[in-house]
Amino acid sequence: MARGSGPGGRPRRVTVGELTLPALAIETSCDDTCAAVLEGPFILSNVISSQAIHGKYGGVVPEVASRHHLELTGPVIRLALEQAEVEVPDLDSIAVTAGPGLIGALLIGLSTAKAMAAPRRLPLIPTDHLQGHVAANFLEPDPIEPPFICLIASGGHTLLAGVREHGGFEILGETLDDAAGEAIDKAARMLGLGYPGGPALEKLAAEGDPGAFEFPIAMSRDPGLDFSFSGLKTALVYRCRDFEEGEIESNRADLAAGFQAAVVEQLVSKLKRAIDLEGWPAVALGGGVAANGPLRRAVQVSAANAASS
Amino acid sequence: MFDGRSIPFAIRSLPSSTALRIVGFDTATDDTVVGAFVDGETVSKKVIPPGPDGRPVHSEGLLEAVTAAAAEAGGWPRIDRIAVGTGPGTFTGIRIGLATANGIALSTGIGLAGVSTLAALARPVLGPGQEILALLDAHRGEVFAALYGPAGQILLEPFVCGPDELAPRIGDSGAGLRAVGPGAVRFSDELDRAGIATAGPEAGFNHLSAVAICELGAAVDSEQLSNPLEPTYLRVPDAQLWLERDGRKASP
Ligand SMILES: [Zn+2]
Repeated sequence: MARGSGPGGRPRRVTVGELTLPALAIETSCDDTCAAVLEGPFILSNVISSQAIHGKYGGVVPEVASRHHLELTGPVIRLALEQAEVEVPDLDSIAVTAGPGLIGALLIGLSTAKAMAAPRRLPLIPTDHLQGHVAANFLEPDPIEPPFICLIASGGHTLLAGVREHGGFEILGETLDDAAGEAIDKAARMLGLGYPGGPALEKLAAEGDPGAFEFPIAMSRDPGLDFSFSGLKTALVYRCRDFEEGEIESNRADLAAGFQAAVVEQLVSKLKRAIDLEGWPAVALGGGVAANGPLRRAVQVSAANAASS
Repeated sequence: MFDGRSIPFAIRSLPSSTALRIVGFDTATDDTVVGAFVDGETVSKKVIPPGPDGRPVHSEGLLEAVTAAAAEAGGWPRIDRIAVGTGPGTFTGIRIGLATANGIALSTGIGLAGVSTLAALARPVLGPGQEILALLDAHRGEVFAALYGPAGQILLEPFVCGPDELAPRIGDSGAGLRAVGPGAVRFSDELDRAGIATAGPEAGFNHLSAVAICELGAAVDSEQLSNPLEPTYLRVPDAQLWLERDGRKASP
């Protein structure tokens, strides 16, 4: 999703930590329809309905996502309330992702949340999606207290957030083009792995040699903390083009391993650089790409180094 | 041209279920249409046209107008049902309307009555000896259309087609046929050529009325109140078309 395309500004100075009574939270910024009920930092329920349908299109189709959000938002909210054993009159506030994200998808959550809040005069808290990623670290059972640095990498965004307080964060660096997850999905598609491609690419990469093909580590000479993944994607396109018919198949695992290593290396080297620059005492990882095993392991090493330095 | 301001008949009387407090709205057209109905009397009606840039103001304007309409009808605790236009129309507009209705229903437990936006367009014009072709501009050179009989009975369920295909689809029942709605204004030349009478751009009934939405909502059987409501898109997403036509993966 495009940066700043949503109706909400950022950063917003609201955190779940300030809310004590049950709050309902709704998120429809991309292809997951989500609702949660929170009591302060405690999660009473968290319902996520992922729209598997986008797989056949090879990516998230905004119109398809919006149609599903309209169908799913009500049932997902109802289930979240039911699981939390909370009824609407018990709610103290309603928070909703205001952006960034797919505008048509955001409108479903926003319209629903606004309409739920108005008849009961409940406070509506339009929330920045990225602040949501940061604030997820404040939740029980394992909250992290600021200051910490948060690497957020998903299909929609890739950034380093410097977190010094509950109410906001500073963008230390962000992608100048594709998001890391977007690049991984595109690579997976080129390698015939379907969508979403993250888990399949990781599995295939485990069988390959990351050194078999050289992929560029973008931005490595850039002194800043920004990321870029479009060159890496182009490098894979050229690699695939160079092969004869049938050769891609036999090199797929090595290509996947090399590509994944280059993504992880770029993310981690920028993270390390940020830690070196400002001595962040703790590291948090967020977004869908955070599920990637090699990335987790590399970040754990950096975090351990950060904590001991 | 038919002059819509001199329609010689009144709106049909409604069944006894009109002893209701209803808030009605529709965002499937470029207008944001909101009203409220108490015991068959219109207590609030509002049309918010698109902004100066031509864009609908559904997202910005709907909830505030709906809240005001509910207040005029006695406040949310006294509202019996919410009537909502389910389309056809603009996809985003339909979704803003339905998501808003779903949200209010979730919050208050008030039942939702989904009504056809086309049926609401036809409703003020219904009358003896007439068939009403309700038309919305579906863009891409097409119309969303449905055909209604003198008492509002559906003769042709909502469909989408090019304006030239209307006459062959409708056939000739011998009854007086009139086309109404923004689609009739947009394609008046094509309809003229096809011999379908239109009302002219100024006629009031070419715009959707909140009163019609409330009236149709009042007529919905209590057992048929539902949540969530089914939107009427009439078109599949483009990506699905590409996928079906090409049998290969479409670009997102
Ligand atoms: Zn995200």
